[in-house]
Amino acid sequence: MEIFLQQLINSLSVASVIILIGIGITLIFGLTGIINFAHGEFLMIGGMTTWLVVSHGGGFLLGAAAAVAVVGALGFVLERSLFRLTLDRPMNGFIISLGLIVVLQHVVIRFWNSYQKAIPQPLASVWEIGGVRIVAMRAAVVLITAVVVAITFFAISRSRYGLALRASVADQETAALMGVPVRRYITGVFIYGSALAGLGGAMMIALFPITPFIGSVIVVRGFAVALIGGLGNVAGAVLAGLVLGLMDGLSAGYGLPEWTEAYSFALMILILLLRPQGLLGGTAGPKAI
Amino acid sequence: MSLLDIAHIDTAYGAISVNRDVSLSVGEGEIATILGPNGAGKTTLLRAICGVVKPKRGAILVSGRDMTRLPPDKLAKAGVVMVPEGRRIFADLTVRENLRLGAYAREDREAIEADIRRMEYYFPVLAQKRDQKGGALSGGQQQMLAIARGLMARPRLLLLDEPSLGLSPLMVKEVQSVIADLRKNFGAAVLLVEQNASLALAVAERGYLMQSGRIVAANAIAELRDSRLMRDLYLGAGKSRLGEAAAPN
Ligand SMILES: Nc1ncnc2c1ncn2[C@@H]1O[C@H](COP(=O)(O)OP(=O)(O)OP(=O)(O)O)[C@@H](O)[C@H]1O
Ligand SMILES: [Mg+2]
Repeated sequence: MEIFLQQLINSLSVASVIILIGIGITLIFGLTGIINFAHGEFLMIGGMTTWLVVSHGGGFLLGAAAAVAVVGALGFVLERSLFRLTLDRPMNGFIISLGLIVVLQHVVIRFWNSYQKAIPQPLASVWEIGGVRIVAMRAAVVLITAVVVAITFFAISRSRYGLALRASVADQETAALMGVPVRRYITGVFIYGSALAGLGGAMMIALFPITPFIGSVIVVRGFAVALIGGLGNVAGAVLAGLVLGLMDGLSAGYGLPEWTEAYSFALMILILLLRPQGLLGGTAGPKAI
Repeated sequence: MSLLDIAHIDTAYGAISVNRDVSLSVGEGEIATILGPNGAGKTTLLRAICGVVKPKRGAILVSGRDMTRLPPDKLAKAGVVMVPEGRRIFADLTVRENLRLGAYAREDREAIEADIRRMEYYFPVLAQKRDQKGGALSGGQQQMLAIARGLMARPRLLLLDEPSLGLSPLMVKEVQSVIADLRKNFGAAVLLVEQNASLALAVAERGYLMQSGRIVAANAIAELRDSRLMRDLYLGAGKSRLGEAAAPN
């Protein structure tokens, strides 16, 4: 039982990072119809930014803030340039984001080589509660994600901006007729989704060493979570992230750990066969104009 | 200078041109209508006025200010709001959320809740259904919601695209009386596009006839009603909507 709880908390921390990525993917898809495959690279750049700051003597918090800012800015610049050209043809957005994977990876490798990077554990303590060993950093990652998810939910369901976002996801043209500056919302969602990926990268490197190739592993997970939850559905992404995280924990603890990936993909296939629209139902992308 | 002046507008979807050299005006508080057969380009013109379609040529002035090619949210801010064809209610938002969204462009946030209550007073069904999803309303109720949502912006000019489409005769009457009272109750001018000519002729003061993308007649409504073009358009085909509607019902 103790082992199980330990595994669960460990896998929850990884699930947290995946959930942050999944939220970004699902939000951007919901509003623009673009699946940003480079979202994993955004996370990688967040991790590398944190590493740069920390290895130059900055603290982890400064590194994480820098990751959020740098990746948020990257999202802003890319949305205003490359992705803006693709709004009328989301298919072009796929191609651009695939190309971005290569470009971003190689820029990082060119300047900082392809070896694994690590930082000292920002929170080194380990708590022992009733025989369960909880690594403080992992608990912190889960907590931070929970706060981010709560804020995101609250903003989407309660605020004026969230209302306009939901309306724009449903019908951009009519939302615009009601005065919603839809283009600005698209930019905002790109920045927010990217910033979350930056945060995810900072938390990732606080947990494990990362290489410039981490993005592809993560984006596949993030995409699975967005798809299982229902593309465009933030609550769905969170739920799916938790389900996959639990699955990881169980399989690592009780099954054959080397099959972890296979279990989660089997689960994804099963869920999508039973519910093609995802666990909580997604959008089909923005309504065609 | 009127509230809305459009001058020599051309529109197109890609290479397919729709409107050609369209000019018209709507005065402060006036009710004007554009009549014309299916595919004439009425909806396209309204979409151009509120910035969804960018005109190829010509100018759109709101109270003399050039608003040509500005995005729809800028026009909404300037008080030009469209109630689109087919209502386009946000099905997953509640009735109240739909109304609140209609007020998005407004600066005077504190007055919004009072206006929502005002809409619920004028359209009692919206009060009854306030917490239900927009998609759960009937067609007629959705039309009332669409008009109320447009009014939440406190528009100076409301563009109504076929508000009677698909409604029962009773609902059509209700829509008609709502439109006739828009100026009195909400101070809004109206540019109405309708297939139901009898409704349009009954409420409008000024009419434009559109055919194949062009304005072919423009006149005060009484003159337009009796014009030959109108007769050709609506009586020529033998079975006339005008005739139908003129029959007592
Ligand atoms: N999104 C679009 N893309 C391409 N062509 C379009 C589009 N919308 C309308 N059209 C074409 O433009 C022309 C004018 O259409 P529009 O919808 O403006 O007519 P309308 O007068 O509103 O007709 P109706 O009375 O049937 O609503 C039609 O020939 C139509 O096929
Ligand atoms: Mg039309």
